[in-house]
Amino acid sequence: MDIFIFEAANQCIGIEAKYIYRIADNVIIVPVPLMPACYEGLIYYRGDLFDVIDMGRLMENEATMLRDDPYIILLKWDAGKLGLIPDRIVGMQWVENESGTGTVFNKKGDTIKLMTPDEIWGKLSGLAYGA
Amino acid sequence: MELEKYQKIFIQESSKYLEELDTVLIKVEKNLQDQQLWGDIHGKIHSVKGMARALSLTDLATFCHAMESWCKLFQEGAKTADAWVIQLFFDGTDLLKAFVAGKGNISEPKHLERLRLISKDLVKDPEELSDHPEPELRQSVAPGKIDRLRVDYTLIESLLARSQEIMQLEKTLPPLTQDQISAGLENWINHYISMLKGLYFQLAQLRLMPVQDFGELFGKTIRDLAKSYNRDVKLEIVGGEIEVDIGLMDRLREPFMHLLRNAIAHGIEPPDEREKAGKTREGKIVLEADRHGDQLILTVSDDGRGLDREAISAYLKEKMGMRHEDMDALSNEKLLAIICRPDFSSARETTQLAGRGIGMDVIARAIEYLGGTMKIHSEPSIGTRFVINLPLSLSIIYAVLFRVGKFTFAIPTSHVEAIENINLDSSEKVEQLCDLKGLLKMDGENTGKGHIIRMRRPLKPVVSAEEQKGLGIAADAIIGNMPLMAIPLGELLAKTGLFAGVGIMENGDISLILDLEKIEAAAMNTN
Repeated sequence: MDIFIFEAANQCIGIEAKYIYRIADNVIIVPVPLMPACYEGLIYYRGDLFDVIDMGRLMENEATMLRDDPYIILLKWDAGKLGLIPDRIVGMQWVENESGTGTVFNKKGDTIKLMTPDEIWGKLSGLAYGA
Repeated sequence: MELEKYQKIFIQESSKYLEELDTVLIKVEKNLQDQQLWGDIHGKIHSVKGMARALSLTDLATFCHAMESWCKLFQEGAKTADAWVIQLFFDGTDLLKAFVAGKGNISEPKHLERLRLISKDLVKDPEELSDHPEPELRQSVAPGKIDRLRVDYTLIESLLARSQEIMQLEKTLPPLTQDQISAGLENWINHYISMLKGLYFQLAQLRLMPVQDFGELFGKTIRDLAKSYNRDVKLEIVGGEIEVDIGLMDRLREPFMHLLRNAIAHGIEPPDEREKAGKTREGKIVLEADRHGDQLILTVSDDGRGLDREAISAYLKEKMGMRHEDMDALSNEKLLAIICRPDFSSARETTQLAGRGIGMDVIARAIEYLGGTMKIHSEPSIGTRFVINLPLSLSIIYAVLFRVGKFTFAIPTSHVEAIENINLDSSEKVEQLCDLKGLLKMDGENTGKGHIIRMRRPLKPVVSAEEQKGLGIAADAIIGNMPLMAIPLGELLAKTGLFAGVGIMENGDISLILDLEKIEAAAMNTN
């Protein structure tokens, strides 16, 4: 399967390409109070609302580098919609893995952690929200 | 004013039916014995009659009724139509159009004469018409003004997406110095952008559909269901002019279908039984739409036998071991919870118990998915009423927008009593003031300067005179009162428990719509 690879919290993360809806930039992210630190805000893109998450903070709960105009990876799958802010976009790669989870390697031998949108959503759902 | 509004709806809707009637008549002319087509013709004339009756347009309703009685004969196969009958129906349809154009009245001599002749024929046996001379050839006229068209919903979605993308271009406009740009060009760009935003918002309104149209989608279904259960049922729509987002209506299709099926199969009695109970032979299902502030309230009621408590009792006894005396004390809310249990449906299906319940879990889950609630009121022999309360949907509301710190919030204008300037350095004490910054755990203290948005009334029951004054929310700056496209909260935002929805402004900007009841409750807890 084709995977879309990006870096966040000093690791390479891959998501099956079929879940990538768009890569957006120049979009204003609207902050929302009472949300976890990794929750950057909301965007309204082409008629849909996306929750935007800083992947670095989600993975490591640490602030990543400051970005003035981040790229946002927009995911759409049957259960939801999500925008992810990576530290850096790496690109696409074909891997022999049909599960969409676990670990694979790129040509240089670097480790790529495969994640499904549901897995990311699960991590988010486990965080504390509200007052 | 109200009457004018309903007359306008009557003209729009009846004209639509009459245009369709012409099409079906052309079809039936080629297949005179097609009972289904006669059923369609009957349904359309019946709908016009229903609306005419609602507006007390007696002449029109009487004429429709006479045409219906013939439709019924052909629909049931008791008589066979011929060319004379078809001509009479075409002429009758023309006359109906004249009635509708005259808001239920006709005054032209040629129309009055035609009414007299057709009415005279309609009291006869249809076969007697064959004694007439050959039907006159109708004069061909061009169709009426083309002023509406049907558009695929996906095209509207695509247009919205495209216009939004064009709006995003504004944000990529490089900063230009005064040397690079003339004042005239700057004005032109600003004007262009504001026109574009207006266009986007108008396009967004194409997503709205009147509840009347939604209800009418089920006309044929109701007829078919009524026929298969040997019932005589009509649907009445109240508040049909209220416009609701097509996306929301689409998600309500299945639940509404289940409610109708339950009402017809288990609620409304067969005509003879109704007559014995002193009711009209024809049962009635009413779909009523209303808006209360930021809520859409849909009520689906029937005038049938009410919830089948015996079947529910049997279930409670069998599955939950409940005693009879406890069952009698069950509230409507608890009854609803019981009939919405998934196993309640299957139990009924396997035991073939008659009564409401099938598919109720499907309805409950759909309403819950939409973030709504459902209540039930049922009285034996009187009927059952489901009240579905839906939160802010993709519909347009007016809201007061304001800033607190870096956040933009919205409150539906219907809740706002007044906006006051404040200066908390003064000795004036502000009653019922909600510390939104504190509630939202925002950095920085209140400066004591800004505005108070005063709510219209206390949101919870008043227990003291002090609480008579509605809650006040302090705002750093007021943005304005403007229309918003309101979208339900996503799963993550809903977890905060303080927001009712997300508002999209004309320019595509986002604001958070406060859930005032929850804000007030949270404010009271912290005080």
